[in-house]
Amino acid sequence: MNNLQKLPIYLFAALALGFASCESNDPEEENDGEVITDVTLKFQELNSSGSPIGIITSFKASDPQGIEVGTSPTIQTINLTKGKTYRMSIEVYNSIEKEDITKEILEEADKHQFFFLGTAFSGNIMTITYDDQSGKRLGLSNKLVVSSSPGTNNAQMRVILRHDLDKNFPGASNPNFTNFVQAGGETDLDITFPVVIN
Amino acid sequence: MFHKLWFNSFEALTFATVLHYQVILFLAVFVLFSKESYAQKCNLILRGKILHRENDNSIEAAYIWILETRTGAVSDQNGNFIIRDLCPGTYTITVQYLGHKEIRQTLNLTGSTTNQTFRMEEESLDLGGVEVHGHREAVQTTTAVTSLYGEALLQSRGESLGESLKRIAGVTTFSTGNTISKPVIHGMHSNRIMILNNGIRLEGQQWGAEHAPEIDPFLADEITVIKGAETVRYGPEAMGGVILVNPPSLPTSKKHSTEIHLLGASNGRMGNFAASHLGGSEKIKGLGYRLQGSVKRAGNVQSPDYIQANTGMSEYNFSGSVGYSSKKLGVEAYYSFFNTELGILRDAHTGNLSDLVNIIENGRPFTNADFTYKIDNPKQVVLHHLAKIKSHYHLNTDWKLNFQYGFQLNSRQEFDRRRGELNSRPSLDLELFTNTVDIFLDHKLKTNWSGSFGLNVIQQANSNIPGTGVTPLIPNYDMLNLGIYVIEKYLKGPLELEGGLRYDFRTFDAARFVSGELQEAELEYQNFSAFFGGLYHLSPHFAFTSNFGTAWRPPNVNELFSQGLHHGAAAVEIGDPTMVSENSLKWVNGLEYESEKILVELTAYANHIKNYIFLSPTGETFVSLRGTFNVYEYLQADAFFYGFDLSGSYTFSERINGYLKGSIIRAKNLDEGNYFPFIPSDRMDWGISIAFGKNSNPNSDRITIGNVLVAQQKREPDFDLAPAPPAYALFNLGYQKKLQLAENQLNIGVQINNVFNTEYKEYMNRFRYFTADMGRNILLKLNYQF
Repeated sequence: MNNLQKLPIYLFAALALGFASCESNDPEEENDGEVITDVTLKFQELNSSGSPIGIITSFKASDPQGIEVGTSPTIQTINLTKGKTYRMSIEVYNSIEKEDITKEILEEADKHQFFFLGTAFSGNIMTITYDDQSGKRLGLSNKLVVSSSPGTNNAQMRVILRHDLDKNFPGASNPNFTNFVQAGGETDLDITFPVVIN
Repeated sequence: MFHKLWFNSFEALTFATVLHYQVILFLAVFVLFSKESYAQKCNLILRGKILHRENDNSIEAAYIWILETRTGAVSDQNGNFIIRDLCPGTYTITVQYLGHKEIRQTLNLTGSTTNQTFRMEEESLDLGGVEVHGHREAVQTTTAVTSLYGEALLQSRGESLGESLKRIAGVTTFSTGNTISKPVIHGMHSNRIMILNNGIRLEGQQWGAEHAPEIDPFLADEITVIKGAETVRYGPEAMGGVILVNPPSLPTSKKHSTEIHLLGASNGRMGNFAASHLGGSEKIKGLGYRLQGSVKRAGNVQSPDYIQANTGMSEYNFSGSVGYSSKKLGVEAYYSFFNTELGILRDAHTGNLSDLVNIIENGRPFTNADFTYKIDNPKQVVLHHLAKIKSHYHLNTDWKLNFQYGFQLNSRQEFDRRRGELNSRPSLDLELFTNTVDIFLDHKLKTNWSGSFGLNVIQQANSNIPGTGVTPLIPNYDMLNLGIYVIEKYLKGPLELEGGLRYDFRTFDAARFVSGELQEAELEYQNFSAFFGGLYHLSPHFAFTSNFGTAWRPPNVNELFSQGLHHGAAAVEIGDPTMVSENSLKWVNGLEYESEKILVELTAYANHIKNYIFLSPTGETFVSLRGTFNVYEYLQADAFFYGFDLSGSYTFSERINGYLKGSIIRAKNLDEGNYFPFIPSDRMDWGISIAFGKNSNPNSDRITIGNVLVAQQKREPDFDLAPAPPAYALFNLGYQKKLQLAENQLNIGVQINNVFNTEYKEYMNRFRYFTADMGRNILLKLNYQF
């Protein structure tokens, strides 16, 4: 009975404790760690023996806000020359977190792969093959051959980065695999670059 | 001596004989003249109702006796009684019922019909064994109420709360795959309905479509659905209805009982174990406790043609309570813990709009998965603590003071498929504290009036745990809600009238960073709500209820502040901080007929909602480096919901029983003249059960054959990612066996859901875009009570 008389005291102690713990924290700034703000395609011309010649030209797609309503990305036009062979390497960057995502993709090579679609690879305009130095089929580095007599000088190159796909899916070894969705996973990047061939 | 005795008895006998003749004579005269006197004045009627004083439940088979006329009646199943042909005058009436204090009251009959309610008090606590009424009603209301308990609840064991409640007509689920399901009452879910865990309103992140209620159905021995607007009683947001999940009441005398459930299912290779123990103290009278826990584990779910990747789940729950009750004072402490890890279908997590379009076109997941129990990202890890202290004190025989305090901590972590180290970090990490205080004064007068006056405080604090690497979907906020209410009920014989009024005031302070900028908002809402309802027993078998109730719901935090990409859903959602509260008026009518063979419950309702908030596609798309997304915004429009639920059963014979349940809902956007998305289509569940036990106990063995018919949703919104899936029919089979082992009972159940492994998609499943629903599932259920 003694305990029962003390009950109101316990009740109020519990109550006070409950209410004290019940205030929200001050909000903290959260940097989007996963956002990709800059994608750079670097083109280095190769000679007939496959050695690099000349300077590297790069073309960039950027969206400094990441995924944010009201802004849209700026995408540069890629300029290439007829009949030339290039090494096309891709660099992916998060300017918000100042993080090199290329490295992360390389580290998770078994979960990522680039695919290249668009009119640039239809008809006789250009061809692309995976040429990753790491030996893993990723698409961070590729060999691009521009036809010496393309039917048009305006085309589009759609660069897609897939995450979490089944890399052994039949057809997935083709960089121009149009049914890439069937290999599962989801899209991390989907950028269409205009291409002008001179 | 002997002689005298003989003489005396002879004399007595003679006297008795004479008296006997006199009575016969009197009766003969009475009969001769009674017809006339009947017509003159002795045509008065005494009607009444007998109730339990403690909880207002009706008492069946109470004995009502008028001393003067030596006439009486027995109350029916609704507690009603009627005594006819009374002459005007003063009478002494006694009401008797086993284990209850006799009521003796003087009544003066003058008018044609007198109506009187009698509330009976239990005799004493030490009687202990008085458990005459099998099922206590969880709530006294004039709205449509349906409960799941006893055998029906036993059959639902192993299912989530949402799935279990589908057994009630008018209740469906809004689900996200096969692991996450939210109950839908009359087309409303999430923040428009309320769930009470042992009397405390469950406060999780219920705004999310993919956020299932954080409650273990095993803690309940009764789950009740109130289908009316009950904001006055339970506070804001109880617009579509209320779900009460109630554990059994604690024993007040020496008693021990244990119950064990063991369940297994073929689909997902689910295993589920639950145990509970109930005990009453021998030493301290009135002291009782209950302990309960459950464990559940399931792997990938199988659709008829494929296994759904990453659809496993695990759950660990615990609850305990201890209570003391004496004649005047009752105290109860309760704690429940819920812990779940839920896998989300891998393919449902899409990167952008073209991913989404591609999988919808494909109609099934791209991933070909094998069976595994392993749960990978995307997944949810949810913990919920709920503690409460409840106390009541009888100030006197008429007034009772109640106090209840509840503390809740909800922690929700959602993991997405992410790159590198981020994959092990949640992309949504929320912690929600809630304090609730209820103080209310109940009165149950001996006569026709009862009711309560109350004060209700809800205080809430939501925080994002930093370190997710994602701009938070919702801000940190503090919320305070104060409410005062009064409810009064008038009982007179077969008629019950009830009305209530409530005032609420809410403040809401939110803050967050968006792109390095601090955004703050201070919002205030206030509202009056009211209800009025009645119940009338047309006859002992036939009752009619009608209830008008207003309800309100302030906008949710996500509706106000969403701004950005909903990860995985390939949608950009935009909130509106200037949104106003929703206000609704719901009219619910119920008709109940119960006879020996037939049971029919019909509920018809209409619900008008002003400023109904919904997510609407803008038709615009948003382009980013990740691809294209659909843009949705939260809008407000006036809405009108109406429909009816029907549930009934017919007893063909002692062994054969048929049942039917069905519901129809219509939901219209009055501003646009079109339909809202995710409203349940017309559906019906009917079947037959055949008992084939021995003649002494035919119900010991029973087979149930059921058929679920679901129509296609023809009233679709103007925009949807995919058309509504076609109608489907499922067949279910069940076998129940009850074994009495001495004092103990063993229940064995075998259930086959979707017997023919039919491939179907349910409109109310958000993952219908990605996958078919669950295929055949065979369950084995063992329940042992000792």
